[in-house]
Order: sequence, then structure tokens, then C-alpha cells
Amino acid sequence: MAMHERLSFYAKRDSILHRLNPLTKLTLVFGFVLISFFAPFYWTPHLLILSGVIPLSFTGKVAREYFNASLRLILPAAGFLFIMQALFQPLEGEELFRIGFLHPTKESVMFAFANAMRIFLMVSSFTLFLLTTHPSELMSDLTRRGLPGQFAYVIISTIQILPQMQAKAQTIISAQRSRGLDTQSSFLKRAGSLIPLVGPLVFGSLVEVEERAIAIEARGFTSTKTKTSLHEIPDTNSDKMIRWILAALVLISLALRLWLS
Amino acid sequence: MLNNIKKDFNTMTWVLIPVAIAINIAIGQIVVTLKLPVFLDSVGTVLVGVLCGPWAGALTGALSNTIWGIAIDPNALPWWPVAFFIGLVSGFMAKGGWFKSWWKVVVTGFVVALTAAAASTPIAVYLFGGITASGSSFITAYLMQTGLGVFQAVFSTSFLVEPVDKITTAMLAFAIVQGLSRRFIARFPRPENVEDEGGANQTQLYIAIGVVVLLVLFAAFMLRNILGG
Amino acid sequence: MAIVNLQNVTYTYPLTHSPVLQNINLRVNEGQFVSIIGPNGAGKSTLCYTIAGFVPHFFKGELTGTVEVADNESSKSNLHEWVLNVGLAFQNPFNQISGAKYTVFEELAFGLENIGVPRDEMKVRVEDAMKLTGISDLADRSPYSLSGGQQQRVALTSILVMQPKVLVLDEPTSQMDPIGTREVFGVIRKLAEQGMTVILVEHKVEWIAQFADRVIALKDGQILLEGTPGEVLTSPILEQSGFGISRYTSVARKAQGIGLWKNDQLPVTLDEAVEGFALTPSPSPRGRGEQ
Ligand SMILES: Nc1ncnc2c1ncn2[C@@H]1O[C@H](COP(=O)(O)OP(=O)(O)OP(=O)(O)O)[C@@H](O)[C@H]1O
Ligand SMILES: [Mg+2]
Repeated sequence: MAMHERLSFYAKRDSILHRLNPLTKLTLVFGFVLISFFAPFYWTPHLLILSGVIPLSFTGKVAREYFNASLRLILPAAGFLFIMQALFQPLEGEELFRIGFLHPTKESVMFAFANAMRIFLMVSSFTLFLLTTHPSELMSDLTRRGLPGQFAYVIISTIQILPQMQAKAQTIISAQRSRGLDTQSSFLKRAGSLIPLVGPLVFGSLVEVEERAIAIEARGFTSTKTKTSLHEIPDTNSDKMIRWILAALVLISLALRLWLS
Repeated sequence: MLNNIKKDFNTMTWVLIPVAIAINIAIGQIVVTLKLPVFLDSVGTVLVGVLCGPWAGALTGALSNTIWGIAIDPNALPWWPVAFFIGLVSGFMAKGGWFKSWWKVVVTGFVVALTAAAASTPIAVYLFGGITASGSSFITAYLMQTGLGVFQAVFSTSFLVEPVDKITTAMLAFAIVQGLSRRFIARFPRPENVEDEGGANQTQLYIAIGVVVLLVLFAAFMLRNILGG
Repeated sequence: MAIVNLQNVTYTYPLTHSPVLQNINLRVNEGQFVSIIGPNGAGKSTLCYTIAGFVPHFFKGELTGTVEVADNESSKSNLHEWVLNVGLAFQNPFNQISGAKYTVFEELAFGLENIGVPRDEMKVRVEDAMKLTGISDLADRSPYSLSGGQQQRVALTSILVMQPKVLVLDEPTSQMDPIGTREVFGVIRKLAEQGMTVILVEHKVEWIAQFADRVIALKDGQILLEGTPGEVLTSPILEQSGFGISRYTSVARKAQGIGLWKNDQLPVTLDEAVEGFALTPSPSPRGRGEQ
């Protein structure tokens, strides 16, 4: 299933990018996104993708996985947004063509393109982050920096439960199909089949909650002691430097935006 | 207040949240498979809001949306504040006793829908200029063509789309709560939110259907006023 | 010296009216292996939860009497402190996986991270516990990819690393196939040999007879019988009260009725039965082959 691949995105390699501290990479992602929104130049998101994210995917030795994900998952979403906005955004300007009440202008196409590129930048830089950072590494590092341990539990647990749940959903759907569920049948029939699909899925997963709560309580989940971590996540001086540089770039682009407008 | 919030986050809450997020996403995808004209992607969020309080619901919503955005549809990412408020408001409605019978749940669903419409409008307008990657943007585009301002067009669209979805969501969450044993519900921080009020289920269901009809009429009326204005 | 000491314990779950445990008095000495048996709904799990502190801290409800472990009183403690005294593992191995970790090694370290054990000590404790339970080769596997028996051994190990003073096991093999059951009992045997204080709820009486120093029969929330495995597991009262008993015991009792079992003591395990029947002079060998 597509989602399963995406959730366990991590590609184990030995690269500079993999060795960076998770927070540094996270700063990189947020830095790119904020700069693309703040900087007052039309070409900012395009430039960041071409000279930032794509080269980094080679540095991280995950270029193949990166392009694969971009083409299959991110590009279609960004493309759809582009078409919707280009056609429907009623911006004044040079009219390109007219079908019915639609009359996209050069301005609306430009606007749509920039927006789609921002979405592309946002998601593809995050994808790169997930490709080069193991979730438990990220959570260990953030917990060490003060994120409550329960958050780490929720995030990783969700990532692991979700594929199980989807597999169950798939099983239930095929079981119902063999009993005559038809996704082409009438609306009322489809609506009526929702309950027998959802019921077993929901109740089955809810009954597990109590025992799992007992199991993790038995292992000190609510302990008030300062938590320690099995993994040691290195945080070097160059990590710190990269983070400061990015923060500075974000501030500069914000200043430019305020100054130029 | 902070202490009260802390009480809402017991171990049951922390274990329920991942399950609720998975429920959100699984039901959301089943609905897509069945090609039903609703999202139903916040049943789990409402459930947490009701059983564990508003802030737990809000956290569930925000995380759910983020994970949905990363895992399934990148276009969902910017909408996490909407999911946040859905969890928050359903939690507060339940706290006020509005999750104890079918018709009250319908009202809760309606209020949640209003919240969602209100929370999504600024995001759609400021981030996307009104047109988003959602199918309902066809309506927005049409309304803008008729000369409506972008704010009004976006809000009216949400106002048209949200109530059906959110009322169904709330009712589904209520049906789930009804199917859980009381001893299980007692483990969560706020079992009093769903204490049985008594009264025949049939009658309540009829009242609920009546309320839905009234709300739809009310929505149509409001919409005409907005559009007219 | 008693490490576990329950006095006049009576407990009622919330939203219910009649007590599930009534006047339970139970002393377990350090290093003892105590087994609890009882029909469905007897209150075995509730008793486990009570010793492990989940009653009343997690389940709430009304508890009277005193629950003491290592001279601390449960009602005066917090659950997160109490779990350092008493470790609990139970039936469903899948639900005991935390879900927060990707590998078995990380899963085992989860509890130690929570209670703030320093990294180096953590690694040593996890490795030692894995060696003890024989799961060292699973260290890098995902806990979700394991068989039931392996998962249950991981669950047991994840409690053992916490180094509790008492281990409470609630039907740890009830969802295992024969292979899983043997794997889990292999671990339990080692723990018994190491002198761990263990309280084990178990249906499979033939296994109990091999390890237990003492057996307690629980029924309707009360202690019905208490004594050595030989006394309790072969008592006629068990069968009359709806307990599951060993088939070797029932066979031997039948045999006793017609004079084919000469021992006073009835058997529980296959070995005991074979031994007993071997002692009984068989009826004069007028087999077909002889004539
Ligand atoms: N959370 C709860 N709230 C109310 N009653 C409960 C709860 N848990 C168990 N009970 C009741 O308490 C009684 C004892 O249950 P318990 O689970 O302790 O029995 P058991 O001996 O472990 O049974 P089994 O062999 O089925 O595991 C049962 O009647 C059960 O219905
Ligand atoms: Mg039990």
C-alpha cells in the first residue's frame, strides 16, 4: 500500500545529511518554507527547489527515492492545485482564453504556479527530511530537548498503528465485497454499508486501548523522573551553525518583504 | 486550569489518541472507497474531544491533519488549525452536556460545522486566495463569478458543505460511544460527558431528524441572507 | 519473610455493587513461586491487578484492607512508584507491545528510559535480561514481526529489565499455541530457578505442578483452597467447584475407584501418573499373547 511506504519513508544510508542532527534538518525544512513565503521575489520557491532541495537529495544519497516520491505523490497534488487555481482564480489582467464562465488570466496562472510550487517545496523538503531521518531518532532528539515523552509516544505509535489499521480496513472491505458490497451501487446502498465496514474496525481497535494503557503504565510511562534515552544523537558545532544561518536567512527575507512592500 | 488540562491527559488518553488518528484516516479512506459525498475524517477527533476533553481533542485533530498531510494528501497540511478547532469545540460542547442524546449531538455537529467553516475561511482566503485543491472550490469559483467577495464566497461554500459532514461525524461518534461499555468509558478522563440521559432512543432519533431538517432550513435561510447582502 | 502481604482485601469495581474480591488474605515469601487457579470470573485478574497496584490506582473503585509489598503500602503509593516493586505481564502479547519503538532492543529499553536509567546501565540491563529469556537474537527485529510466543517473551523481558521485587503473570500462555506455551514456560522455569518471587495465574495445571511451591484456588472472589500443588490440584473439591483439573488426576481417581491406583497421592503430571501406575502391580498378565 502506498501509505505504508510513505510512513516508513526512512532510507538507511551513510551520508552527511543522515548524520546531521534531526533538529538541524527540521530547521532546514521550516527555513525553506518560511523563506518561500516571506521573500518578496516571484522565483524564490523555484530557486529553493532547484538549488536547495534537489541537490540535497543527492547529498543524502536518496535522489532516486526523492524523485520517485515527488513524481508519484507530490506532483499530482501540486498539479491539481495549479489547475484549480489557474482556472478559477478571478484575477484581473490579460485574459488567456475563455470557456463558459472561466477566463483564466496571465496573472491567475502566475499566481497558481507560485502557490503550487510552494506546496511542492513544502512537501518535498519534508519528504527529504523523512527520507534521511529515522522517526525514533527525531523523537529521541526532540525529547532530549524538552518535548514531553508522551508526544514521542503518540507520533511513533500512530505511525505504527496506521498501516495495521489500513490493512484491517482493506480486509474488511474485501470481506464485504465478497458478500455483495458494490462500490458502484446506489448512493443509499453505499451509505448503508458504511456502518458494517466501520463498526468492526473501530470497536476492534478501541478494546485494545485499556490493555495497552496498563502495559505501558507497568513500564513507568507516568514516571515523574527525567527520562533518559537509549540512543545518543550527536549535535555538532556545524549543526548549530547551520541552524543559526537558516534563522538569519529567514529574518533577512522577512525584512526584505517588509522593506520592499 | 492548567491542572485540569493535565488531568485530561491520563495514560488512556495518550493511548487513545493514536488509535483515534488511525480511525480518522481509515474511515476517511473507506468513505473515499465508497464514493460518498462527505469527508468523515474527524470521527476519532470528536471521540477524543468527548471522552478526554477539549484540549486532547484539539491535539488529536492537529496531529491527525499533519499526519494525513504527510502520508496521504499534501494539500491537507495547511488545514490543521481547522481540525484543531473541531476537536476543541466538540470537547467543549460535550463538557456543556451536548453529547448525551441524539438530538443534542446533532446540534453539536452543527456547531462544529460552523466552527470548521469559520476556521477554514481565513486559511482558504489568505493562503490560497480562495481557491483550494478541494472539489467544493467549484462552488466558490461560481459564487465569485456572480460578484461575491472572496471572503463571502469561501464562507458560504463551507457553510453549504460542512453541516452535513460534521453532523454525520458527530452522530457516528455518538453511535460508537453508545456501543462502548460503561466500564470501559469510565477509564477515560470525562465519562460524565456521555452519561445516559434516559429516554427512548427511538423518540430521540426522531427529534434528531427533525433538528437536522430545521438546521438545514436555517442554513439555507442564512445563506440567502449572506448572498443577498 | 513475607514480601507480599494482603490482609482482608475486599474490592468492588466502580459502577458495580458486589465485591469481586472478598476478604482475601495472602502472604507470599521472598523467592516463593505461587500459582493461582480458578474458574472464569473468579477474580484472578483482579487479584493480579490488586497486587500490581492497578487496583485501585488505575481502575479506581473501592478497596478495603491492606496490600503490602516489601513493607510499602499500595494505597499510600503512586502507581508509577509501585510498578518498580511489582511487575505485571498478562495474556495478550500483542497489546503489551508499547507501539512506541521500532526494534525489540528499543522496546525493552522503553521502561528504563521512562524511569531515567542512565544509557550505559540501560544497555547492560537489557542485554542481561535478553540473555536470561533467550531472545538475544531478536534484538533488531520489529516487535510486530514476531510470533506470539516470541512477543510474550519480549513482554516478559520488558518487565524483567525493570527489576521488580515480585513478578505477577496473568495467564501468560492462554493465547499461545503449544510451541509458544513451551517457550514461555521455559522462561518461567528459569525465573523460578533464579529464586524470583513469582505469582502466576494459570489454567494449565500440569505446568503449575512442576514449578509452584504453593497453589491457591480462587472462586467467586474468595480463597477456596490453599496448599502444596499435590494437595490442592488433586483435591476432590476442585472438580466439584467447576475448576479445570488435570486429566491424569481424573484418570487416576477413576482407577483408584476400581483399585487400580494404590498410591494415596493422586498425580497431576504425566510423569507422576506413569510413576504411580508403574508401582501398581498390574492385574495378572493373562494377555492374549500368553495363551
Ligand atoms: N473493569 C471492570 N468493571 C467492572 N467489573 C469488572 C471489571 N473487570 C472485571 N469485572 C468483573 O469482575 C469479575 C472478576 O473478573 P476477573 O477478570 O478478575 O476474573 P478472572 O478470574 O480473571 O476471569 P478469566 O478467567 O475470565 O480471566 C467478573 O465478574 C468480571 O465481570
Ligand atoms: Mg483473567
